[in-house]
Amino acid sequence: MAILSNRTSERSAEVDPADPGRRGRRRRRGIGLSRDVIGALLAVPAVVLFAAFAVYPMLRVFYLSVFDYNLTSDPEFVGLANFAFLATDSRFHEALGQTGFYVLGTYGPALILALVLAQALHTKTRGMGLVRLLYFVPVAMSWVAVSVIWRVVLHPDGLLNQALSIDVNWLTSSSTARWGLVIMSVWKEMGFFLILFLAGLQAISPDLHEAASLDGAGSFRRFWHLTLPLLRPVTAVCAVMAVIRGFQAFSPQVVLTGGSFETEVINLFVYKTAFENARMGRASAVAVLMFGALLLLTLIQLRAFRRRDR
Amino acid sequence: MSATLGRVLRVSLTTLGGLIFVSVLVYATLSALKPASEVLAVPLSWLPSTFEWSNFALPFTETPFARYYLNSVVVGVSVTVLNVVTCTAAGYSFSKFGYRGRNAVFVIILATLMVPVEIIYVPLYALVFQLGWVNSFAGLIIPAGTSAFGIFLMRQSIDSVPDELLEAARLDGAGELRTLVSIVAPVVRAPIAALALFIFMTNWDSHLWPLLVGADDAHRTLPVGLAAMQANNLGSAGVPMMMAAALLALLPTLLLFLSLQRRFVEGVTMTAGMR
Repeated sequence: MAILSNRTSERSAEVDPADPGRRGRRRRRGIGLSRDVIGALLAVPAVVLFAAFAVYPMLRVFYLSVFDYNLTSDPEFVGLANFAFLATDSRFHEALGQTGFYVLGTYGPALILALVLAQALHTKTRGMGLVRLLYFVPVAMSWVAVSVIWRVVLHPDGLLNQALSIDVNWLTSSSTARWGLVIMSVWKEMGFFLILFLAGLQAISPDLHEAASLDGAGSFRRFWHLTLPLLRPVTAVCAVMAVIRGFQAFSPQVVLTGGSFETEVINLFVYKTAFENARMGRASAVAVLMFGALLLLTLIQLRAFRRRDR
Repeated sequence: MSATLGRVLRVSLTTLGGLIFVSVLVYATLSALKPASEVLAVPLSWLPSTFEWSNFALPFTETPFARYYLNSVVVGVSVTVLNVVTCTAAGYSFSKFGYRGRNAVFVIILATLMVPVEIIYVPLYALVFQLGWVNSFAGLIIPAGTSAFGIFLMRQSIDSVPDELLEAARLDGAGELRTLVSIVAPVVRAPIAALALFIFMTNWDSHLWPLLVGADDAHRTLPVGLAAMQANNLGSAGVPMMMAAALLALLPTLLLFLSLQRRFVEGVTMTAGMR
């Protein structure tokens, strides 16, 4: 891994002793601070914040998952009881199902749409920059603001129903609310992946397409046999990010459906378990399971995309 | 001939799709300007009969919206400044010095990149609770004060700063901090800008953490405040006010995005590139 290569810079002792900075260096050495010590000190603020607010909680989540803990009293060891509870809790299973539906329903279409649109928008035609911008705009907006707007769009008399001449009460039952969420989220997230695919396409040399063209390959063949394989690393990254972003969903569910059970995804389930029912241990157990699931999914995805490279 | 036709087709189709995409925003803007009785009229009328510009004042007069806005700006700017400082210093440290343990620490930081922060919110909240930072700006700002992405990005960027430049500064008698501020930082100002933009936009969007540690009226940021306002105004009478509030809430990041598109795109591709 190139990023981890040891690029040690020269130590002060190796610098020409006749240099004019000698006096300053001697003074620093006088109070016991060599260059490398100062260099190490520069990382301290980030490392301290990181250790306290990222590494420690990450380890702690594993610890808490085997305890019953309500924040105010001492944690009580319960072994694997939290996990046993989750194994049989139908609400948790429902939340898993909702998350799966949301991730696949949103990011499947978003990725395909982004890939197709990236093909169409990857051109030097004048004015295409402006067209791209139309698709990027939702990416720059906050989820809560978007959800507030989409409550009106999804209203029975709102934009969506009237534009499509349909009569759906989107946000009142789980069977329609989950689709309303998906429609909104595809709109919000598609542009994010479009950015990545466009960047990926720009990295492909146009010569390859020209050569394929001369060999008589049509645009579909070029897409299937040339573009798609060359985009595989970008596609892999997009797929991994899609899963992670999908698991992170919280705001749209809270704002669109008021956090009701209709669209309770994992994050909402954790939130309610930990902060409304004060079951910190049980919520930590969910976090541990999520941690494992995400790791596994990521590894599977990376592997699946890598294997076909060979 | 057919190539031109293909191009025309491509431009018109993508433009049409793009217009459908932004129609949601146009609809929201016009809804914010309508009298409440017209917002959910059937059949849909795009234009209001009278433009009620005063609707944009409603969030400020009817709710503590100004407070939420100010909170979001304070938290967003503080978190961004903290990240720029801590990540640039750490990036410089990891890139240009040869102390022991440097790579080990860096690898640990890298390893956490794949983990969504939501997974650690329970113990993180417990910690912040014990520190007495619930319902305080400290709780909103300090835990978000650095980022693995930022540290990684700054180290990568500073790697490309030539060592000769640093030696020259040292020969002129500049200390390490001085070298960082006046030599290194200006060279990597583009990645710093991308980092700042990315952190600010992410923080502006942050909802779950501020809901946990800043849920009281005095510390609510925009996402928390907006969600609370929404819950109190579910009837159609509140629609113009809520539309106005939502548009005002997304304005800063939208403007930042429109003026710094290229940096933003860099930020997105770099976040993805390191995964």
